[in-house]
Amino acid sequence: MANRWRATSALAIGVLMVAGACSSNATPSAPGASGSAAPSGPAAVPTVPTGYAELDKALGADKPYSGKTVDIQVQWTGGELANFQASLADFAKATGINVQVDSVPSSHETVLKSRIEGGSPPDIAQLAQPTPVLAYAAEGKVIDVSKFMDPNKLKTDYPATIGLVSANGGVWGIPYKADVKSTVWYPIKAFEAKGYKVPTTWDELIALSDKIVADGSNPWCISAGGPGDATGWQITDWIEEVVLKTKGTQYYNDWISHKVTFEDPGIKDAFDKYVGKIFFTPNYVYGGPQAIINTDQKTTMDPMFNQDMQAPKCWMQKVPTWYGPDFFPDQRASGQPSKYIVGKDVGIFPFPTIDPNQNNAEGSADTMMMLADRPEVRAVEQFLSTPQGLQRWIEAGSAISPNTATPADWYAGSYKLQVASNIVSKASGIGFDASDLMPGAVGAGTFWTQSVDWVNNDGKNTDAVLKAIDDSWPAQ
Amino acid sequence: MAAGARPTNPPPSRFVLPILGLVALGLCVGGILVLIEPHGGQNLLAAIYDALGNGAGATELRNGSGDQLVARIILAVIAVGVGVGGIWLLFLGVGGLVGMLRPAWRDRILPWVFVGPALILLATYLLYPGAATVARSFFDAKGAFTLDNYAVMTTPSMIEILRNNVIWLVVATGGSVILGLVIAGLFDRIRREALAKTFIFLPLAISLIGASVIWGFMYAWEPAGQPQIGLLNAIVTGLGGQPIPFFTTSPLNIAAEMVIMVWLQTGFAMVVLSAAIKGVSTEIIEAARLDGAGERQLFFRIIVPSIRGSIVTVTTTVAIATLKIFDIVYVTTGGRFHDDVVANRMFHEMFQFFNDGRAAALATLLFIAVLPVMYLNLRNFRRQQVER
Repeated sequence: MANRWRATSALAIGVLMVAGACSSNATPSAPGASGSAAPSGPAAVPTVPTGYAELDKALGADKPYSGKTVDIQVQWTGGELANFQASLADFAKATGINVQVDSVPSSHETVLKSRIEGGSPPDIAQLAQPTPVLAYAAEGKVIDVSKFMDPNKLKTDYPATIGLVSANGGVWGIPYKADVKSTVWYPIKAFEAKGYKVPTTWDELIALSDKIVADGSNPWCISAGGPGDATGWQITDWIEEVVLKTKGTQYYNDWISHKVTFEDPGIKDAFDKYVGKIFFTPNYVYGGPQAIINTDQKTTMDPMFNQDMQAPKCWMQKVPTWYGPDFFPDQRASGQPSKYIVGKDVGIFPFPTIDPNQNNAEGSADTMMMLADRPEVRAVEQFLSTPQGLQRWIEAGSAISPNTATPADWYAGSYKLQVASNIVSKASGIGFDASDLMPGAVGAGTFWTQSVDWVNNDGKNTDAVLKAIDDSWPAQ
Repeated sequence: MAAGARPTNPPPSRFVLPILGLVALGLCVGGILVLIEPHGGQNLLAAIYDALGNGAGATELRNGSGDQLVARIILAVIAVGVGVGGIWLLFLGVGGLVGMLRPAWRDRILPWVFVGPALILLATYLLYPGAATVARSFFDAKGAFTLDNYAVMTTPSMIEILRNNVIWLVVATGGSVILGLVIAGLFDRIRREALAKTFIFLPLAISLIGASVIWGFMYAWEPAGQPQIGLLNAIVTGLGGQPIPFFTTSPLNIAAEMVIMVWLQTGFAMVVLSAAIKGVSTEIIEAARLDGAGERQLFFRIIVPSIRGSIVTVTTTVAIATLKIFDIVYVTTGGRFHDDVVANRMFHEMFQFFNDGRAAALATLLFIAVLPVMYLNLRNFRRQQVER
């Protein structure tokens, strides 16, 4: 419990470093788009001595691990994969280690489980949720990094997130990349042309939505995250956002640990009063509620780009900060960097507050879990735990590090990261994605499927849905 | 030397073969040891280099660089040699040994020699995992004994899943077989029979997942007022209706998914039944025609009963494929719209909920469900044997 409280209230601290240098400089200087930025200046590797034995050895002039292979399995693909590989490139050159990245975009967890259980795991694996990391650790399949990395240093560097991957006296992974989820994307120029103002409170958001409907359009593009098996996670993000902003972080954490059940009035209100209002008010969602569960998450925002963004068919989409130009329709089609600039054409505003006293934000983080113990694998894991492990990705404007030692000036010049840092620095508390922390049968199971069922029934069966989720909570 | 005394040399050939056999056996065992050890090929080549005095090459190999390709080729050669040559030696050797026994013993043991390796493999990769799965189904996620995994079969969500499987079994199997039978009968005497049958049979070459993706485009849905990219919705909106979200509307989505299965399996049913129909002796048909039977009576009273064995075979095969259905449901809806099936649920329990026990229980359930179908198939097979 103390873990969760510390974690959720202090993800802010982790990213607050960003706020320090960025708050005054609001003008986006460089095109803050994602995609690999040309590496400039010194190589993105930490300076020796780093404090880690194997990493110091690897970076030594004699390159003792040169020629060895370390394989990492991730679910990132496209632009995210390119950024990850860019972050590893300088390290691979400096040490001679052959870092091989296996990208398994669909069924990453299935392949990973088969490899782990089958006895031929990857050396390092990325997981988007802490729950399976701890599940594998309980089976004894994960290497305890605190054996060769100072646990106190880890606690200092990752105050918010290290607790989520620690259990039974061991630390079972390194939090690597964080995302802020309380962001809404919108077309800047079209807003100006119509005289719409960015809403800062829930009432303003509803008023804006009504105004857009009155003007003959649909304010929201929403996708549940589909198709197929992935459907449902975005609905859970909406619910979690509202719970954080109406009931606060202590209630939120109690909800994760099941002290607060889904049938509690606070959760029910989140469904019916708030999320339901956005989803089911006639004409609010482009395509109606059916579109929510039938739209692919890659193409959700396409209607916003209608007629070169001058006549958007929808005006707002709530999606986390890992979103970027590689999702825009023109870059998807051509493979070339999008002509729409984040910060000039496409903007991001923080999800409006509901209760002014509960200005909390939602975030999540990926974990790098180590499955094989060899000196070169240790060196790579240690590198990933340094700020330089994410440097090129940050410089590309697409990643936030949960490491508090990350230099704040790396975030300067990226519109998206500045928005994210503002959200975090102004937030009174941060919640970690709840469905990522709940037991698998709920967090990846009934919370998703029942939410989809709720939308499929136009929000009429809330009580049955909440009861079904509660009933499915595994007995402890 | 005494005249007439011949130097007696025992004919060496009697020992040559057994000695060669033992040497080859030793090589096989050594080969297997190299294959089992991680980096076995590299270490073997390094050892060879060391023996040849190429110390530098050996060190390079052990570090992961150097002549890796040569090491891998050596490993491949060993694998093929052990796999093919070893098995051949095994049969030769054991057969030779058993051949030296008394005839009575030999006849009893020799069949087991030849069937033995296959039986051992079956036991290891079929019987043992099967038994382990059934055993695993009685333990919960923490390792404690429980009957809970079976008790949850009575919850409403599981009842819905079982109901869906029954619907799939009856409708998809029945649809495929009946459609295959009708098509086989109709195509029996048309002119371009082979061409027509090819079109029906072609989908069978597509994987279930490929078919699901194709039909996903057929059923695609866009909001009303937008251009429809799905063929069916294009027709519906063209005729003035509202686009139908096939995959999210229950129970329409089950029907939509079953169409995909029928589309795939009809070709198989048609081919088998067509061959069976052609196998019905012409004398019976002519006699029936002479007796004044119409085409429909001919088909249902004469032909269908004659090919009953094939119909049962086809039905059981399609039924087993339908009971196991997973790919279509996983790709199209993930089972999230009241169309979940046992295999899909088993997958989620295993890989997303980390609940191996419940997954094992679902697998066991599927196995029990398939047993009657297998029994029917075997009984039919045996009856066909008798009839012959």
